[in-house]
Amino acid sequence: MNASAPYVIFELAGSLYGIHSRDVQHVDMLEHVTPVPNTAPSLEGVVFSRGHVIPALNLRVRFGLPRAAHDARTRLIFLNAHDRVVALIVDSAREFRAIAQEAIKPIEQTLHGIRGNYVKGVVTVLDRLVLLIDVAAVLAPEELELPPGAEPAPAAPTP
Amino acid sequence: MSGTTPTDLDGELLDDFYAECDELCGQIRVLLTGLADAPAGADAGVEALYRAFHSFKGICGIVGLAVAERLAHAAEDLLRHLNSTRSAPLPAAIELLSHVLHRLEQIVAAHRLGQALPVIDDLLAPLATYRTTGPAPGRAGDSHAALAAPLAEGGAWRAHFTPTPELDARGVNIGSIRQRLSALGVIEKAEPRVHPGGGISFEFILRIPAAPPAEAELEALLADGLRLAPEPTPAAAPAPAAVPVVPAAAALSIAPSHIIRVDMSRLDDLMRITGELVIHRSRLEERIARLAGAHGEIGEVGLALSRSLRDLRAAVTRVRMVPVAEIFTRMPYAVRELAQDQGKQVRLALHGQETEIDKYLVERLKEPLLHLVRNAVSHGLETPAERAAAGKPEQATLTLRATGTGHSLVLEIEDDGRGVDPARIFARAKALGIPLPAEPGEAGLLSLLCRPGFSTREEADLASGRGVGMAAVHATLRELGGVLTLHSEVGRFTRFTLRLPLTLSIIDTFIVAVGAQTCAIPRALIEEIVQFEENEVRPVKQTEVIPYRDGVLPIYRLDRFLGAPAEVRARVPALVVASERGLAGLVVDRVIAHREVVVRPMGDPLLRVPGIAGATELGDGRPVLILDPSALTCGAARPHERSHAPDSAQP
Repeated sequence: MNASAPYVIFELAGSLYGIHSRDVQHVDMLEHVTPVPNTAPSLEGVVFSRGHVIPALNLRVRFGLPRAAHDARTRLIFLNAHDRVVALIVDSAREFRAIAQEAIKPIEQTLHGIRGNYVKGVVTVLDRLVLLIDVAAVLAPEELELPPGAEPAPAAPTP
Repeated sequence: MSGTTPTDLDGELLDDFYAECDELCGQIRVLLTGLADAPAGADAGVEALYRAFHSFKGICGIVGLAVAERLAHAAEDLLRHLNSTRSAPLPAAIELLSHVLHRLEQIVAAHRLGQALPVIDDLLAPLATYRTTGPAPGRAGDSHAALAAPLAEGGAWRAHFTPTPELDARGVNIGSIRQRLSALGVIEKAEPRVHPGGGISFEFILRIPAAPPAEAELEALLADGLRLAPEPTPAAAPAPAAVPVVPAAAALSIAPSHIIRVDMSRLDDLMRITGELVIHRSRLEERIARLAGAHGEIGEVGLALSRSLRDLRAAVTRVRMVPVAEIFTRMPYAVRELAQDQGKQVRLALHGQETEIDKYLVERLKEPLLHLVRNAVSHGLETPAERAAAGKPEQATLTLRATGTGHSLVLEIEDDGRGVDPARIFARAKALGIPLPAEPGEAGLLSLLCRPGFSTREEADLASGRGVGMAAVHATLRELGGVLTLHSEVGRFTRFTLRLPLTLSIIDTFIVAVGAQTCAIPRALIEEIVQFEENEVRPVKQTEVIPYRDGVLPIYRLDRFLGAPAEVRARVPALVVASERGLAGLVVDRVIAHREVVVRPMGDPLLRVPGIAGATELGDGRPVLILDPSALTCGAARPHERSHAPDSAQP
């Protein structure tokens, strides 16, 4: 049981996250996002990718973290999963890394309290904790239908 | 309230306007000639002329060319009169309209050159008089008696022949006409003419010997739809008679042998590639504009490329266009069957079958149209007994009408049945526990009829009462960027009107600025652009109105929808939208340009927002939202709910 799979590791508000590379189409610089009215708070707008209009989700807002100014390190991670393409705006993209299946620990054992079920596992890479994203949960639209103003509390690991 | 002055408008918009004027004038000229030549097909011609003058009026309204707008309006009135009285357009009317056309051209030319505009009063008077009193008597059309004398002198004559199915049924076709003409004289030239509308006619130049013509044959020819006129210029004077003549067989075979069948997916490919070219062109234009020597040679090459691309797009679009007849032909069978089942007598009248529409739209419209037709037979029309009791002819009439206006297609389904009774509909809504609609009148009735699950039949019948029907019709139309409206009078008629863009993937839009945002608004539903001043705005209930024409126009502020603070300006433009609720004004900051754009759908569930139809790009790779003006002004779109500006400066 030493099967391993490549993950894309990225940074968000000082924490590391990983997405299975099977779900990642490509990673791009962030140039311009066109805002779309009357959409979920975390939907920052739309971008073009290869001639298609792609929704761009601000993952900080999605995870209930404070917004941050975009800079030269800001990246768009284009997910291609469940027959959809959605871009995630993250602070920076770090690397590809192979992660062994058995190194992944279920989330319950280590931390809980992050809003929703966006994290499906956790793994330690080079002494740092990497939270593995559940792509299906991130893409689910109903999670976005929060009433305006109902900003969730910032995610905080509870003991 | 006043029209926009030319100086307020972007140069590109004006260029488009002039180009469109040219195009419409050309169309009108062809139509007038067609009418003069063939009064037989007058109805369609008058209708088309009416549309052309109407479009002309519309674009003049957009740029605020009031003189031309008024003149075109007067011409439109005359044509509406001719159309409603079914009177054939007599030569006097055609001559009058030719003067109007000429004057319109002069006005546009003067506007372009910045010169004083010609006056129009001398034309308005006879236009009005003609409408009320008819033409001055005494002008005769072609008659063999009038033609016999000049014909006897011989010389060059021009002959027109337009084949029709009726003539063909009598054995009169291009072959026989040709044969009979060659008995009159030598055919020097024979040319097929393909008309923009898709029809075909033939033109001959005849050299007739100086001799009295056979009057009986002449009369017969004229009766068979042939038109003769002296050919003024002896262009091909001593022509070697045999050279330029197109063999009759070749002319005849145009239809079958030159048509190929093409897989739709190949046309889609072609359209997609053209769309990509349009985007590359935009990019290239932007880069060229940024170059210092933008007015140099490269600018000219860019312009030439743009023109060719526009032609290419038009050509590709044309290839995809098919006559509406493709949908209409399905209807008689459906109507006959349903009418028999329900013991009703129905006459189906089809108009405008030659109107062209994108093949893709045909496929998508078949079901909705069929549903509306079935609905009309099942619910709209009464039984012969009921009709007789109401003093109506026992045979009911169901009319399907298609008209094209250049940018949009209008389909009407009208029955002369019992009409939509508001009392019945409201009672039904009450029984179902559905709240009454906010919109008054027919728009409110329609929104009830289109509610999922609403059906006025207590028992759903197989043909039309599935309760999903009208809702599905409405949804399909929305999806196609179209609008559905209802007009009805109890006891008299019900008319559903579908208004749609002619084609989908590349559309004509107005590019507008609202605050820092740029958006595209499809042109198909825009009647005109007006300007108003903030102090003219009056609040009425939940909305605001501005004075418009003889009444008021409700306005909808786009900055509220987009959450982008508008610029403060003394005079504000509003795009007048023909929506399901009637006319409404869409308020923007500025109208930047008139552009054709490639529609990129926004299919992701995260992006289903009423009021937004898709996105496009204008060459800089940034998405620009394409708005759905009808959804916005119908109240389907919610105002913006949160401050959206990302609290970050974007690099």
